Amino acid sequence: MLEFLENIIPSSPVALVVFALFPMVIIIVYALFAIWLERKVAGFIQDRLGPMRTGGFHGWAQTIADMLKLIQKEDIIPKDASSFLFKLAPFMIFTASYAAFAVIPFSSGYIGSNINIGVFYLLAITSFLTISIIMASWASNNKWSLVGGMRTAAQMVSYEVPTIVTVLSVLIVAGSMNLMTITEMQTGNDIMGFLPNWFIFQNPFLIVAFAIFAISMLAESHRVPFDLPESESELVAGYQTEYSGMRWGMFMLAEYADMLLLSLLGATLFFGGWNSPFGTFMSGPIWGFGWFMLKGMLLVFVMMWIRWTLPRYRVDQLMHICWSILIPLSFVNFVLVALWEMIF
Amino acid sequence: MQKQLKEGYQTFKSIFIGMAITLRHLFQPSVTIQYPDVRVELPPGVRSKLYVNIDDCIGCLLCARACPVNCIDIETVKATSDVDLGKTSTGNPKRLWVTQFDIDMSKCMYCDLCVYPCPTNCIYMVPEYEYSEFDRKNLIFEFSNLSPEKVTEVKDKLEKENEEKNRQKELAQQKKDQEKKDQETDTDTDAGKAGE
Amino acid sequence: MPGKPANDKPTYDEANRLMELSAILFYAFTVLTVGSAAYMVFSKNIVHAAFALIFSLSGVAALYVLLYADFVAATQILVYVGGILILILFGIMLTTLDFTENLKTVTVNMLPASLLSGAVAVLLLYVFFAAEWTTIVPADRDGTMYDLGMMLMNEYLLPFQIAGVLLLVAIIGALLMSTRHKNEP
Repeated sequence: MLEFLENIIPSSPVALVVFALFPMVIIIVYALFAIWLERKVAGFIQDRLGPMRTGGFHGWAQTIADMLKLIQKEDIIPKDASSFLFKLAPFMIFTASYAAFAVIPFSSGYIGSNINIGVFYLLAITSFLTISIIMASWASNNKWSLVGGMRTAAQMVSYEVPTIVTVLSVLIVAGSMNLMTITEMQTGNDIMGFLPNWFIFQNPFLIVAFAIFAISMLAESHRVPFDLPESESELVAGYQTEYSGMRWGMFMLAEYADMLLLSLLGATLFFGGWNSPFGTFMSGPIWGFGWFMLKGMLLVFVMMWIRWTLPRYRVDQLMHICWSILIPLSFVNFVLVALWEMIF
Repeated sequence: MQKQLKEGYQTFKSIFIGMAITLRHLFQPSVTIQYPDVRVELPPGVRSKLYVNIDDCIGCLLCARACPVNCIDIETVKATSDVDLGKTSTGNPKRLWVTQFDIDMSKCMYCDLCVYPCPTNCIYMVPEYEYSEFDRKNLIFEFSNLSPEKVTEVKDKLEKENEEKNRQKELAQQKKDQEKKDQETDTDTDAGKAGE
Repeated sequence: MPGKPANDKPTYDEANRLMELSAILFYAFTVLTVGSAAYMVFSKNIVHAAFALIFSLSGVAALYVLLYADFVAATQILVYVGGILILILFGIMLTTLDFTENLKTVTVNMLPASLLSGAVAVLLLYVFFAAEWTTIVPADRDGTMYDLGMMLMNEYLLPFQIAGVLLLVAIIGALLMSTRHKNEP
């Protein structure tokens, strides 16, 4: 992809910038689509229709209209807020989730940075999300924001443990941290003659690992039923309370980007990334991109589906689930995955 | 351990049951009605807006008197004898010009009490509900179809006729008085004459 | 695009350009690191100081990256930014201290402090000038993970395990402290 861009663009730094901005385009198009989809899914699940009027067919332009509205809004900074941190936080949160996309292999032809420590880098860089949320919550000088920020910190630090352990159990099977290598290892359809070589089919304990990963994924991207950082009914809007206009839009964008990031990570680790489920049929860089986004969007859809099904957990229940169920379970499962790999 | 396993099983089972329900609803047709494009047909007897068929109104003021909130304001002018206002569709003769028939829908409480007294069934509710306004004054609906000129003309006419009548009455009275006087004098003279 | 093939050694020009870019990045991150550290020291607001520490530590992580130590860089971010700093912020916010109040940032013990820092500066300068600096262009940075893993699991297994046991002890101690508190009336 970079060579191709360097061929069509004369200046190589420009080509590099275009290359680097590719995930940005994906994030923005995806966010516009996903917010619309979220409303439609919410509507359909509740036997409503959702947005119908903006733009014609099923209100497809609703999010674009909303974004234009957000850009035009007044940028309000509370008088007693810590101005610099308040302004910095939305950009930092988006930078963190954008930086994490660098190691995601979007197709066999595109990965931002093919580094050796892929997953580890991703897990490390997402810790900036937590810090930026705390920054936003503290800088707002608002009690709702602060409580939301504290909950975020507690939740994300706790749920990082099961996430990392489940990712580790995949890494045992794969033997590499490079997400591109991990995806390449899942090519082919050899299991029981027809199933693709995805890790979730390779090792039965990885199904359990995926279940744990899915639960902690919900918590890491603070989606219902773990949306305590911004639980509307208790904390107004959590750490976003004081934000308005485009700064708030950045939070929204980062939140949806985070959802996509974790879904794509799940798709890469367990569902074969850009590999086609039909072996060599419909494979190749462009088809691969399509498959990858399809897998990611399916996981995003499941997250939306869960959101409109389950009620929110209490804080103590959230911590109980993490520390006394998920973490021990994930460690036991980790050992079992390793044993299975040793024996077979 | 067994208890915890059972609990975990119950949890997952209930989550999947809930998700199956929401998935089922995802594919059910929605109940939303796309309002400005599609409208619900209102049930008969719906009370949403008063309408007056002014051609049938005989200006009897029964509806105005029935109204508990005094939202109906009627002014009538008696028709002069030279015009025939015709009959209503129910056959009642019309004798009054209805120069003003205002209904203040911002006061109206949709009780339907004005509808029943009407002898000609000319005031009734129509199923129309989209009449919101920015100014409260625009909610006063005027049903009288007479132009202001016509109203003044009619009023003048009536005044004139009344004057005429009064004059005639006066004249008649004068005549009567005169006659009476005359008669009195007549009787006197008559008596005198008769005596002659 | 799975990176450059390993046998494709960078040409001289390419390496030169890369070095220039690295130099610019190095100075940028140095300014970030030192500037944030200075802000942290001189800031009167403890929370601002904690946030400045984030940038300082991230800058150090970026310097590790420039030194081709990607694993250490990621660890630096994961441990310090993702763990320790969050705990620090948590600690600051949960204590009853009124953290909007300005802190006292006056210099005490002027003489010993300046003597000590002067000594450290002299030591660092001595090391800087005494060391024989050679510039090498690392051929590739693949394999750091593999080598690290091999080393940790073979040569340095005992220190690794001891560190693990130490952390386990710390976790058990923390659990003990929090549960014993509950049993008391």
